[in-house]
Amino acid sequence: MLFFIAFSSSIQAQETAMSASEIVAFKGKVIASAKTTKTIKTDFVQYKHLDFLADDVKTSGKMVFKAPNLVKWEYTNPYQYSVIFKEDQLLINDGGTKSKVDIGNSKLFKKLNQLIVNSVKGNMFNDADFTVSFFKSPKYNKAVFIPKDKKIAGYIASFELLFNKDDAQVFEVKMVEPSQDFTRIVFSNRTLNSTINDSVFSN
Amino acid sequence: MIRFLAISFLAIVTLASCSLKTTEGLRQVHFNKEAVGNPYFSNPEIDYVYKAKIEVYKKNFGGILIIKKTGPESHRVVFTTEFGSKLFDFQFEGDTFTKHFIVDDLDKKFIVNILKDDFRLLVNEKAQVLAVYESENHRIYKTTSGDRFNFYFLEDETEQLQKIVNTTKTKEKVEIDFTSHEGNIADFISIKHKNIKLSINLEKFKNE
Repeated sequence: MLFFIAFSSSIQAQETAMSASEIVAFKGKVIASAKTTKTIKTDFVQYKHLDFLADDVKTSGKMVFKAPNLVKWEYTNPYQYSVIFKEDQLLINDGGTKSKVDIGNSKLFKKLNQLIVNSVKGNMFNDADFTVSFFKSPKYNKAVFIPKDKKIAGYIASFELLFNKDDAQVFEVKMVEPSQDFTRIVFSNRTLNSTINDSVFSN
Repeated sequence: MIRFLAISFLAIVTLASCSLKTTEGLRQVHFNKEAVGNPYFSNPEIDYVYKAKIEVYKKNFGGILIIKKTGPESHRVVFTTEFGSKLFDFQFEGDTFTKHFIVDDLDKKFIVNILKDDFRLLVNEKAQVLAVYESENHRIYKTTSGDRFNFYFLEDETEQLQKIVNTTKTKEKVEIDFTSHEGNIADFISIKHKNIKLSINLEKFKNE
């Protein structure tokens, strides 16, 4: 019985590479889903894994997205902190301390932010800065992005997106550092295409 | 001769006026304690995780500070953004300092030195006592590190460490204040620089 459980769970965890035709079908589904997604509201839990820690550092909150490129990340536990991505600016509210960061002239920072925005939608397969590979498992589809640019590769070894099989929405983002420490963000309670006022995206 | 006297006199006046504020008016007392300690990062079982707010020349930055005792004389100190990206990853082992990672923007010698000195002071667990002073509520232990001095302020009744002041012979450079509600856990920590406009405020993550 134990053997059977171990066996079946190893099957579940198994990932295989997608075939060329599966990739085409999968990309099509994600792009179609991204096109019809005008707004997203979702809860998230973020786990920061550092090898030397006993437990991952856990923070959580809400994320709001409005097409084409407004994103607000709001951490509510264990502290209040929000970031709004708006054009070439970050609007930060750190427990009441508000600040603005210009990212217009930092190529790296811009890239990292673009990643965050695009990963919410899942549609970043055409990004020339990454080599993308595709995997499937019984539970999810997975896209792994590896940066080509050496400078970005110094910060991110890979970037992984996990997609629901049915609606092709991203349910988990994982950013692996060159040291193999990683950040994992898991989404839950997602609402699609509800009305979201632009005023949500001001500090 | 007159010139010599004048110079000596001037020297005495200048030196006197530069005496260290930290121990001004305090009475030096006999002591039988050889070492003074900082218990706040001494338990290898605990992941010490803090929300950090940094203000440098009126600019604000936030992040998460993670400290772990990883060996008998070793601490790992990692600072990440709220999103989890590492900004720096340092290790202190005895007198050895290892920079495992730092983002390019922070990788300047003077910044690294400030961070190194601040966090070494924060996590250092034990120092040999040179002298002891008494104030109204505190016993103050003077210790040395390199060409600087550290003054550890322990509250009389509880013997709880409340403050560390880092000084040169004549000037206060950095002050660390600890607020603790239970045992050896610091709930709030503030690190303030006296000669540059830099302050770091830390608030411990609350357990759910």
